[in-house]
Amino acid sequence: MTAQSTPVTTAPPAAEPVKAELGRAARFRRYLRRHPSVAVGGGLLILMALIGIFAPLLWTTDPTAISPARRTRVPSELYWFGTDMLGRDVYSRVIYGARVSLLVGFSVAVLSSVIGLAIGLFAGFIRWADGVIMRIIDGMMSIPPILLAIALMALTRGSIQNVIIAITIAEIPRVARLVRGVVLSLREQPYVEAAVANGARAPRIIWRHILPNTFAPMSVQATYICASAMIVEAILSFIGAGVPPSVPSWGNIMAEGRALWQVRPHIILFPAVFLSITVLAVNLLGDGLRDSLDPRLAKTL
Amino acid sequence: MLAFVVRRIVTTIPVMAFVALFVFSLLYIAPGDPAAIIAGDQASPADVERIRASLGLDRPYLVRFAEWSFRVIQGDLGTSIFTNLPVTQLIAQRIEPTLSLMVLTLIFAVVVAVPMGVVAAWKAGSWVDKAAMGFAVLGFSVPVFVVGYLLAYFFALKLDWLPVQGYTPIAQGVWPWFKNLILPSVTLGLVYIALIARITRATMLEVLQQDYVRTAQAKGVAQKDVLFLHSLKNAAVPIVTIIGIGIALLIGGAVVTESVFAIPGLGRLTVDAILRRDYPVIQGVVLMFSLVYVLVNLLIDLTYTLVDPRIRY
Amino acid sequence: MDRRTFLKSATGAGMAAATGGLAMPALAQSPSKTLRFVPQANLANFDPIWGTQYVVRNAAALVWDTLYGIDSKFQPQRQMVETEEVSSDGLNWTFKLRSGLKFHDGTPVTSKDVVASLVRWSARDPMGLMLRAIQVELAPVDELTWKWSLKQPFPKMLLALAKNNAPCSFVMPERIARTDPFTQITEYIGSGPMKFLRNDWVPGAKAVFEKFADYKPRSEKADWLAGGKNILVDRVEWVIMPDAATAAAALQNGEVDWWETPLADLVPVLKGHKDINVDIGDPLGNVGAFRMNHLFPPFNNVKVRQAVLTALNQEDYMRAVVGDDDKLWKPLPGFFTPGTPLYTEEGGDILKKRNVAEAKKLLAEAGYKGEPVVCVVAQDMAATKSMGDVTASLLKSIGMNVDFVATDWGTVGSRRAQKTPPGQGGWSMFHTWHAGADCINPAAYTAIRANGDKAWFGWPDVPAVETEVTNWFNAKDLAEEKAAMGRLNKAAVENVVFAPTGFYLGYQAWRKNVTGVVSGPLPFFWDVKKG
Repeated sequence: MTAQSTPVTTAPPAAEPVKAELGRAARFRRYLRRHPSVAVGGGLLILMALIGIFAPLLWTTDPTAISPARRTRVPSELYWFGTDMLGRDVYSRVIYGARVSLLVGFSVAVLSSVIGLAIGLFAGFIRWADGVIMRIIDGMMSIPPILLAIALMALTRGSIQNVIIAITIAEIPRVARLVRGVVLSLREQPYVEAAVANGARAPRIIWRHILPNTFAPMSVQATYICASAMIVEAILSFIGAGVPPSVPSWGNIMAEGRALWQVRPHIILFPAVFLSITVLAVNLLGDGLRDSLDPRLAKTL
Repeated sequence: MLAFVVRRIVTTIPVMAFVALFVFSLLYIAPGDPAAIIAGDQASPADVERIRASLGLDRPYLVRFAEWSFRVIQGDLGTSIFTNLPVTQLIAQRIEPTLSLMVLTLIFAVVVAVPMGVVAAWKAGSWVDKAAMGFAVLGFSVPVFVVGYLLAYFFALKLDWLPVQGYTPIAQGVWPWFKNLILPSVTLGLVYIALIARITRATMLEVLQQDYVRTAQAKGVAQKDVLFLHSLKNAAVPIVTIIGIGIALLIGGAVVTESVFAIPGLGRLTVDAILRRDYPVIQGVVLMFSLVYVLVNLLIDLTYTLVDPRIRY
Repeated sequence: MDRRTFLKSATGAGMAAATGGLAMPALAQSPSKTLRFVPQANLANFDPIWGTQYVVRNAAALVWDTLYGIDSKFQPQRQMVETEEVSSDGLNWTFKLRSGLKFHDGTPVTSKDVVASLVRWSARDPMGLMLRAIQVELAPVDELTWKWSLKQPFPKMLLALAKNNAPCSFVMPERIARTDPFTQITEYIGSGPMKFLRNDWVPGAKAVFEKFADYKPRSEKADWLAGGKNILVDRVEWVIMPDAATAAAALQNGEVDWWETPLADLVPVLKGHKDINVDIGDPLGNVGAFRMNHLFPPFNNVKVRQAVLTALNQEDYMRAVVGDDDKLWKPLPGFFTPGTPLYTEEGGDILKKRNVAEAKKLLAEAGYKGEPVVCVVAQDMAATKSMGDVTASLLKSIGMNVDFVATDWGTVGSRRAQKTPPGQGGWSMFHTWHAGADCINPAAYTAIRANGDKAWFGWPDVPAVETEVTNWFNAKDLAEEKAAMGRLNKAAVENVVFAPTGFYLGYQAWRKNVTGVVSGPLPFFWDVKKG
């Protein structure tokens, strides 16, 4: 999408006047009522995060403990979600898996936002660098993100960090492009031109005028990246290029159960349901944020 | 217009060169060794070393890259390390299945998603809208292979309506070709439907607020015509754009879909090549993907002039 | 495709739809003459001397014929050879080809082709290399005869020319056989019972073989690689399926006829299917291997290696690899293939019982100080992946410091060749498996050798093992061979050349309208009929 067609609000959303008599909590409640998808998405996400944090307390056993004598059991009172091909408890793995997926999702979202923001600001503000950076970004965007991530994983060994790095690298160009578009449209705004005319230095302009305005589109974009990173992690593990198999990630559990979907569909279905709910929650949150921060963003994202 | 096309093609060549360089350098520092795979498990280290030498893999990477680039300029993508077949031939063998899958997916997605988005915008806030958008968010959230396995289980194995796997070239008949592709395209199309339906709804909502649409409604033009003739045309630019952006997404999804449904396409070729470190194949495929990406985006920019006469190049 | 073919196919489909004949009109022309086979792996290259993966050997056995062939009793039988003669001192061999043998391009097979093929083969094969070392002359005598003179007797000559271990001594036309043994051939012409259709080859997807009309099968009944290789179908199509679940579904739906390596966990479903037969695939099975690096700590210390053997429970490994089916695995207190004439368990008691306390004691005696054990485990191979998970938990259970490197087979292949310390790009252990056919005796069993620098990855240096290997090669009779093998097994266990993780078998499955499928070390397509 070309930068020129990116409409962005000029007024920072935080400046919205709020009735003084309403307390913080009341305001928050009103906000959630108006934007139910934020409430539902955020609520589900918090639930998943709690599941991940308190995984050891949720009647789980060691998710990496193998027991080949008790493999591929169907769900029962003893093994709530059954066992996998190495006799590991699928319930424990799914519960602990929340940690991995959320960690990957959030880390990729934060890292690619920060790095993409820096690159985007740089490209949008420093004219001479723009051409070069945008060509590089175009080049990277022309490689399908999953293939890029697979190639990056071939470089290193399977680990959570490397998965995060690989997906982040694949996501950065999209953020950089978005930020650059915002910067370019903001540069034309009268108040920025005025600041430039007054001799304000670039860092100051960026800090005062540009950065606050990238917040809204960035936070929405970040949720989508988070959602997509969780899916990509699952796909990488599914192809066998993800985190090591002993690490319980939803992608890994599904990869394990992949060959058995005909006879033991639950091995795939339980993690699939958890993954889908989490990604759904993040997407709902993103949609809600988008609508509440700036309805017009709906068009650009 | 011609000048625009030429300029675009000229400016995209550096992009492609960069892509090639980037991926090439990445995989050359990767630890895998094709010679070790070829030699087999029983081979001695000395045998592996000699195979590596015969493949020219012992020479510095810059030398190999220079040679490779020189040959590419002459239209020669080199020879696969493993199969000893020209990379162009390997790609040519795989283009038809992938292209078929992508085109069918695209058609399927657009046919379902655009009306869905339009209706959702028209009935904004109603249960139809909520259901459609709920479905769209769900489409984003379920991994493509889970959808694939579920569909294959019910429609191929339980009901026996469609084949589980494989690909029949279109030259052997349109129906066998189509039959093999129904499940994969529906699988792959789900994400795409979600994407297009959402963008269609969002743009349509905006367009429906415009004066000329209200005027048309006031004049008593049939609702169907208002939606699909007057409004949709004006909402086309973002929709076409998102289709273009989605191409990279589609290629990525094709990798998984092809392996679930055993379709001999480019996605599988790429994954196999990466896992085996078949450098010439990886290079060729990535080069081709970027070419497709660049061309599709050019095509989309040109489509803008069709859907919106105000845009000129 | 031009528009005319498009229209044609479109009308074809339309007509088919109109008449209700929806079932694959293109395939209907020859429904029973094409056998569709799902091989164990992708046929990524097709030079059986240059590349020695099993899948290449299996395909090559269709296209190239061999001089001798091993039968189901592991005896070499004449195949392309009519007669052979050996001088009483065992030094001069003279062989004569059957007459009338032809290559797929129509040219006759001559002794020149054979000699060139043997030259190329012997540069790559372990037994071939031994022959080379004692060779005086290998030369054609006339159109059909050639001689091979040696400096010292080589009693295993016919076995070398008949064995099914890769690389087999396949016979190629002279012009092709002259290719450097470390360079891939580009023409796939043999004198075997089927032709390779190179233009139909889509690596990663399919490979097609067509019956060779001019093939002259022997009159004996086929028995593994020996006897008459009668092809009873017109075409054999290899369909590559990377996804086991998809392959199972395709077999159930009748989209393929024969699956070489069905996943054990899916076998109950296939067994329950009314149109599918299931049987053991390769009766010689596989030997799982936990390969250690003898050059660096911790596994340079024999006590640490013994500690692993003591703590190791083969049942864990085997269940992880083959699942719940007890028919599919056996404990293996040794290194050689169970059920074969030379099988021995001598000295293998340490493998029969797990003793974690004893293992910890050995580890302490060895002075293990928590050096990291770099486990390089391929995730793209089901067997290595499962064994790797078991190993990680095994090593942790005896208090070793595990550094688990999850990677792909290509990386394991290159990393295991590194002789640098584990911390500097080297490794401590990796998993692989050896085909049981290679583990019948030491001839093709490179992994059992312990000649230090020249040994297989891990570079064990155990003179006692090497002595017994030499004794076996020089053995005059079965009793001597057995004695040497017993001592070899004992020495290899004591010094832990590598840790065997068990012996396991696999199933094969085929549609009931296919007959003549036999169990063997590779899939044999001769005498297979599709009704």
